[in-house]
Amino acid sequence: MPLDERYALDEFLITTMARQFSGEVMVSSVTAFGALSALLAKARYAPDLAVLATPESGMEVTPMPTLSLGQFLTDAQRGIPLTMEEIFDAIFTDRFRIWINPAQIDRHGNTNISVIGDWHQPKVAMVGSRGIPEDTSHLSQIFYYVLTHSRRTVVEQVDFRSGAGTGPDRDATLGEHGAPSVLVTDLGVFDFTGPDGTMAVRSLHPGVTLEEVQEKSGFEIHAPSSIPVTEPPTEEDVQIIRDADPLEVRKLELLSGPEAAERFVSIYERERQALHAAWPRLGKLG
Amino acid sequence: MTVDQVVADIPNGSTVAIGGSSLSRKPMALIRALARSSVKDLRLIVDVGGPDVDLLIGTGSVSEVIYAFVGFEVLGLAPHFRRARQQQALRFEEWTEYTVMAGLDATIKRVPFLPTHAGLATDVLSVNTSFRRFKDPFHGEELVAVPALKPDVALIHVNYADAKGNGVILGDGHVDVLCAKAARRTYMSCERIISSDELQRYGRDVQILRVHTTGVVELPWGAHPTGCAPDYRADLRHLQDYLRYSANDDAWRAYADQYIYTDQSRYLERQGGVEALLARLKV
Repeated sequence: MPLDERYALDEFLITTMARQFSGEVMVSSVTAFGALSALLAKARYAPDLAVLATPESGMEVTPMPTLSLGQFLTDAQRGIPLTMEEIFDAIFTDRFRIWINPAQIDRHGNTNISVIGDWHQPKVAMVGSRGIPEDTSHLSQIFYYVLTHSRRTVVEQVDFRSGAGTGPDRDATLGEHGAPSVLVTDLGVFDFTGPDGTMAVRSLHPGVTLEEVQEKSGFEIHAPSSIPVTEPPTEEDVQIIRDADPLEVRKLELLSGPEAAERFVSIYERERQALHAAWPRLGKLG
Repeated sequence: MTVDQVVADIPNGSTVAIGGSSLSRKPMALIRALARSSVKDLRLIVDVGGPDVDLLIGTGSVSEVIYAFVGFEVLGLAPHFRRARQQQALRFEEWTEYTVMAGLDATIKRVPFLPTHAGLATDVLSVNTSFRRFKDPFHGEELVAVPALKPDVALIHVNYADAKGNGVILGDGHVDVLCAKAARRTYMSCERIISSDELQRYGRDVQILRVHTTGVVELPWGAHPTGCAPDYRADLRHLQDYLRYSANDDAWRAYADQYIYTDQSRYLERQGGVEALLARLKV
């Protein structure tokens, strides 16, 4: 999409992600994009969110993104400590939301973070399905984002189903429990309201055409006859994101190669200082 | 206890559950001690693994890994894990975050399995043959039976402990409590041993109870290069070096000589010493 000088792509996407939240649910922070979207949502769109500072704990504190997301706490930043049992109980009772960044997502919203190729003879062994099976078998809203919409990421069929999408397998075993609800990419916002629960266009980002989306997808995405344009962030949205992420950890997710490495080192050198400026030590511990 | 006594208690073929989570509070000093011993054919159980699993695969100490995740988070994939998976060099069993917890919990509750919906309509159930699908006896609902995971040994690292084996965890708890309760023998390293009186002030942060602990070892910086919140953050520079050293066999031998086949005090000297670590990593 063409850039607008008032916001960067990361700020556009984080705002779009923030606007998907609603209600009084726990939100886990496993990526900078996820953490910042939750924080912005809490400030502007879904004030009752219980945002966690780390993937599994630190409720009710501001999750300033760092490189080791969350697992880098000062004594002042701890928030309400939670246990893994509490996290999964929140998932099982559908009081939990998370933004997941899969390697592949398909027509039915199945997602893969485990392996490229056959699981038994991997072309690329990635990380393993982690907690995605739990999320997709229990949460009534599952949020996915993909930063580079392409035929490698948005595919006809995932190589391995880490996360359960829509379709007969889900209908037979999970019934009403959980379902993929939204996919945000650098091209648009998609949901799974197409025929038989397939992916459909909900909105396209400013300047993006349906042809471009179809060209960059591994299958034809269902499109309504009239497609809205994704609402861009307001000045206030952008300011909240910038204030919340002074180190610009969010930019790393969009970079690769030497540029990413350079920025990584620079953030690493500055993150402790920045965290202490935001969260002075209480000195109560240890 | 000493590190050597812990390692001497772990025979070939042991099933070892490891606490912590990816780059957070991994018992790395104990892991390195295990890696430089002659122990072989370990079966590892990790919920969220990182340098712990990767290093033990790198030194050829492992025959099987049960895992929900193994990776280096922001730094990318785990090199030895990835290579071993792609070369089909070891036995791997992909579980999920909750099912690893449920498997440990089943052992704690002394039941053969626990039921869950997790994994239904995913391919985890097709590749993991340890799980069974069954219909619940009350309503006929389709469920997954998660078999009990029975670690011989658990290794965990905590912030503080008393000499009796009560442990204080200040950052995220991860699955350390489940590992400690499920294992036949639990060995806990800690940043500092404190008196039982001092330990009392930590209230609910005393998460590891001495009835589950076999031995305690004081190992300052014992989680390095992973982090131990809020004492120190993960050493991402060392972990980047680790990834570079893992690129080929020669480089990996050099890493092992320098950082694994040495004791914890020399290991810390080779990081520039404790003062440099404090300046770089203390939160």
